[in-house]
Amino acid sequence: MNKLYIAGIDEIPRRVTLEDNDELHLTIVCPPGYSGDINFRIDLLRPGVKLDMAGLSFCALGERQTFNVQVHHKVGGAVSRQLFKSIVGEKGRANFNGLIYVAPDAGKTKAYQESHSLLLSEGAVSESHPELEIYTDDVECSHGSTVGYLNADERFYMQSRGIPEEEAVRLQILSFLSPVLSRLPEEKRKALINRL
Amino acid sequence: MTPLLEIKNLTVGIAGKEILKDLNLSIAAGEIHAIMGPNAAGKSTLAAVLTGRPDYQVFSGSIIYKGRNLLEMKPEERAWAGIFMSFQYPIEIPGVSITALMKAAVNAKLKAASKDELTPGEFLKLMKEKMALLKMRSDFAKREVNVGFSGGEKKRSEIFQMAMLDPTLSILDETDSGLDVDALKIVANGVNTLRSNEKSTLIITHYKRLLELIKPDVVHVLRDGRIIATGGFEIVNKIENEGYDSINE
Repeated sequence: MNKLYIAGIDEIPRRVTLEDNDELHLTIVCPPGYSGDINFRIDLLRPGVKLDMAGLSFCALGERQTFNVQVHHKVGGAVSRQLFKSIVGEKGRANFNGLIYVAPDAGKTKAYQESHSLLLSEGAVSESHPELEIYTDDVECSHGSTVGYLNADERFYMQSRGIPEEEAVRLQILSFLSPVLSRLPEEKRKALINRL
Repeated sequence: MTPLLEIKNLTVGIAGKEILKDLNLSIAAGEIHAIMGPNAAGKSTLAAVLTGRPDYQVFSGSIIYKGRNLLEMKPEERAWAGIFMSFQYPIEIPGVSITALMKAAVNAKLKAASKDELTPGEFLKLMKEKMALLKMRSDFAKREVNVGFSGGEKKRSEIFQMAMLDPTLSILDETDSGLDVDALKIVANGVNTLRSNEKSTLIITHYKRLLELIKPDVVHVLRDGRIIATGGFEIVNKIENEGYDSINE
């Protein structure tokens, strides 16, 4: 099942459960101009269910966006993958709070979480709080979090090819966001890119 | 005749330390110049300052290119004016394809010259033609810039980009380093095909082998930030046989 929610436009459920053979491919976008919190909890209730979740935060123009995401592995043998990306400009703030809970006896759980922030200026703020609550041993879990600035070498390389600095920055932002942007249907992706 | 590029009394450094010292170099249209020199002579600094890398400071001197003050131009403006550098260490740009990079670059250059952008068909034709020249595999256009490229592929990709952008002054910064014999021939053939009476090339290298395939008109030896000797191919032979220490001012 594919689900796409755009904050400020779509009603985003606060809680979702995955049962039987559910496979959920979920993308949540906080578009430019949106400020607010996204509170989202997913319970994985049957072995074999799969969650593939991604989120995007656009805080390039001073927006303040927070993802509070909880993934609960209530039984073993389920898989969850999370990828969150944010771009943050001057006075913007992107927060990510991500809990992975693995119940006792939920062996053979696989749970992965990544959150990455790209800061466009020194006045940009991003905080990431990954939290793992794991009550069983037989699991494969990982989380990774990065916060960084645009790569100056990449930008100079593009400029040296004649690409104006502003366009080079745009290409860098798009390349950073592409793993999540590529999940959107063409039309919605283009609409978002045009607002950058 | 006014030279294409004229460097006068140029002193350049990084982090306050002088690397090029009072350097003079003049390249006329149509000429191929080679700069040879031991490690840390300042060869790559010269390439960096010509392309406008931001971390280098110019303490004194001037660079005039096509009658313009090059030092006042941004890196992209230098590219529009026909300067191109083949990087010694090409930069990886994950998420940006060769096609996206080249489309943005070619069209920016046309726009700067107040010309129409290429149609998708024209662009594709140009890509195919230049990929054939550098013997690039058909999936090359879709690959992310330099990501997962072998050393040889990176250097061929640089010369491919040079062919796409059709520069007036090409700077090859140790393009031969890390190339096997076959890749070296492909690169040299690419450069030789692009030669003309209006275009100039500056080849920075440690070795004779690329210069045997792209014959330079003038050879300079750079040591400790200064050009200590200028001449013809006999200098290349002397360095190859007797080493840099045999070259004296």
